[in-house]
Amino acid sequence: MTQTDQIIEAFDARARRREERRGFFKNVMGAAAVTAAGAAAMSIASEAQAQTTGPSEVDVLNFALNLEYLEAQFYSYASTGQGLPANLLTGGVGTQGAVQTGTGVGSARQVVFTDPAIAAYAREITQDEIAHVTFLRAAIRGTGTSDALIAAQPAINISGATGGAFAAAAASTMPALTGFDPYADDNSFLQAAFIFEDVGVTAYKGAAGALINNKVYLEAAAGILAVEAYHAAIVRTALYARGATLPALRSNTDAISNLRDSVDGTTDLDQGVSPTTVSGQTVSNIVPLDVNGLAFSRTPAQVLNIVYLNPRSVTAGGFFPNGINNSNTAIRSSGAN
Amino acid sequence: MTHETSILEIIEKTTARRNARRAFMKTAAGGVAAVGGLSLLAACGDDGAMSTPFPTPTPTPTPTAVSVDVAVLNFALNLEYLEAQFYSYAAFGTGLPASSLTGTGTQGAVITGSGAGFPRAVDFSGDPLIGQYAREIAYDEIAHVNFLRAALGSMAVAQPAINISGTADGAFSAAARAAGVITGTSATFDPYLNPTNFLLGAYIFEDVGVTAYKGASPVISATYLDAAAGILAAEAYHAGLVRTILYSRGVTNRDLITATQMISDLRDNADGTATGTLAGGTTPTAGSASPDGTAAKAGDDDQGIGGTNIGVLATGVSNIVPTDVNGLAYSRSTQQVHNIVYLNATGANRTSGGFFPAGTNNPNPAFTVGLG
Repeated sequence: MTQTDQIIEAFDARARRREERRGFFKNVMGAAAVTAAGAAAMSIASEAQAQTTGPSEVDVLNFALNLEYLEAQFYSYASTGQGLPANLLTGGVGTQGAVQTGTGVGSARQVVFTDPAIAAYAREITQDEIAHVTFLRAAIRGTGTSDALIAAQPAINISGATGGAFAAAAASTMPALTGFDPYADDNSFLQAAFIFEDVGVTAYKGAAGALINNKVYLEAAAGILAVEAYHAAIVRTALYARGATLPALRSNTDAISNLRDSVDGTTDLDQGVSPTTVSGQTVSNIVPLDVNGLAFSRTPAQVLNIVYLNPRSVTAGGFFPNGINNSNTAIRSSGAN
Repeated sequence: MTHETSILEIIEKTTARRNARRAFMKTAAGGVAAVGGLSLLAACGDDGAMSTPFPTPTPTPTPTAVSVDVAVLNFALNLEYLEAQFYSYAAFGTGLPASSLTGTGTQGAVITGSGAGFPRAVDFSGDPLIGQYAREIAYDEIAHVNFLRAALGSMAVAQPAINISGTADGAFSAAARAAGVITGTSATFDPYLNPTNFLLGAYIFEDVGVTAYKGASPVISATYLDAAAGILAAEAYHAGLVRTILYSRGVTNRDLITATQMISDLRDNADGTATGTLAGGTTPTAGSASPDGTAAKAGDDDQGIGGTNIGVLATGVSNIVPTDVNGLAYSRSTQQVHNIVYLNATGANRTSGGFFPAGTNNPNPAFTVGLG
């Protein structure tokens, strides 16, 4: 087999992931979801024309800040058992909310790690995400001292207990992850982190174009995009490596990926880590890319479909029980899929 | 038409697009030059996103936007040639097809060298996971070469001469020698010797790609921003993969962590002491504590993986992600990147060296030199 044939075969392996997804849609999309998705499909053209006034650069940064609040709180609880300091949560935009940790089994708490490497990753990622919250708040504040333009932290649900967002997510994966407690141990933590990480990458990539006229913001966003991709790679690599002896860790990433794909519209923007076979050789899938080797983008509405855990156009749910805070209402709603 | 049909129809359209791309790749890879021109990139870059993106405002007009884009994309193409050839040899024992190497400028060969350390397939049989990663990254980097070549069409540069040899006089050995990983002119660093050496060889490149694409982000025009961001993310995933594996193994084999620190220091020393801006990555004060566990140098924009309290369950903090105090990745200018891939060539010698013995190819000569 020539090198060219091998490349084509690798290309086909990526394509096969999509073929599987096609069967997936055909099988699992319920009538309601199909109706919603069909309606969205038919209104793409008009939707694209409808948005005449785009979000400002501050709106875009605040959108990102909401996501960083969520990530930072999750990692902070997992690695330290505590949330962010109060002075990082205030702001003049929207209603400030609390972190809903839940109670009992599955509640947000410090993970008892047994692998020093995974514990070290958790602490590192926590520091990075808190730095992102701090940085975005400073960038939005600008040269002034007022917090008027900063989105306050909205209510955030990072509970894996009954009724919690992680429990809801675990029940919605395909297939469902039964008895999932995100804070139980190293493997649980990695899978919970997997729910968020690639989403951040696609969100920042999707936002890059909206910052093109402010090169400082743009380069900073590129810097966060890169860091989120590093984080995603840590989590995906650790799950893949551990999955060599515990295959469920790999197949669960596919189930979580299917969940994300099922709520964010018909375009396949997501992949688990499970390997493919090319020329008789196993190839990992640490990096979720399209056929050109490029990472995917998500629109704000698609990102909200995932964090709201809802394929329809709603303004709250899932990890953000009261919705995200943003002065631009256009980017507070998830997509109608 | 039922709703289900409409959904499947959309998926079919995506499939049709994909098949068209597949046919295109086959043609391009088979030797017929793709003359898609720059407009093709816009078509390729958006892989079927279907709902409203953040609207892209009208960019401030820049008269020279196209030529800057061509220079930047070709700069990136040179780096992708290098990465793709290294990973392709390590994963498959062979380089890229000849049809993927043609273009403007002087085409060069892969200098493989001979004797111990020449480029060849790494034996991953004792460490199959690393082989699986190597093949994945190889296919990704080849996809980047093909994508950039298709985007640039007739304006794509040819592959310049590339040295990916681990022989005593090869670029990998020179890099390892400059970093202090090996000592003496006859010592070799052979990245193809075993999976561990392969990871360290990969480590030399990966973070550089991230900083290069980030550095280009404010320069590139709106047309290509999305694609460049997509490659930036892919490179960061690759870097994260390589650094994660090195750290997890470094917990019990500290030599690996020490080696990453030496290579990081080499990159820091090579790329000058330009201090970063807020967005470019705020460089720490010289002598202050770096997140990688060492004392920061002047203009420190690179970090090893060590962090603090390696292997200590209760307090260890890794440094998989090289970031500034704001949690942002660093940027490098095209000159700084060249200083690294040319292995610290300065003054009159800053136009070639190291991994690019005849320099990089670019229609804009300013994009082929390192800092003086």
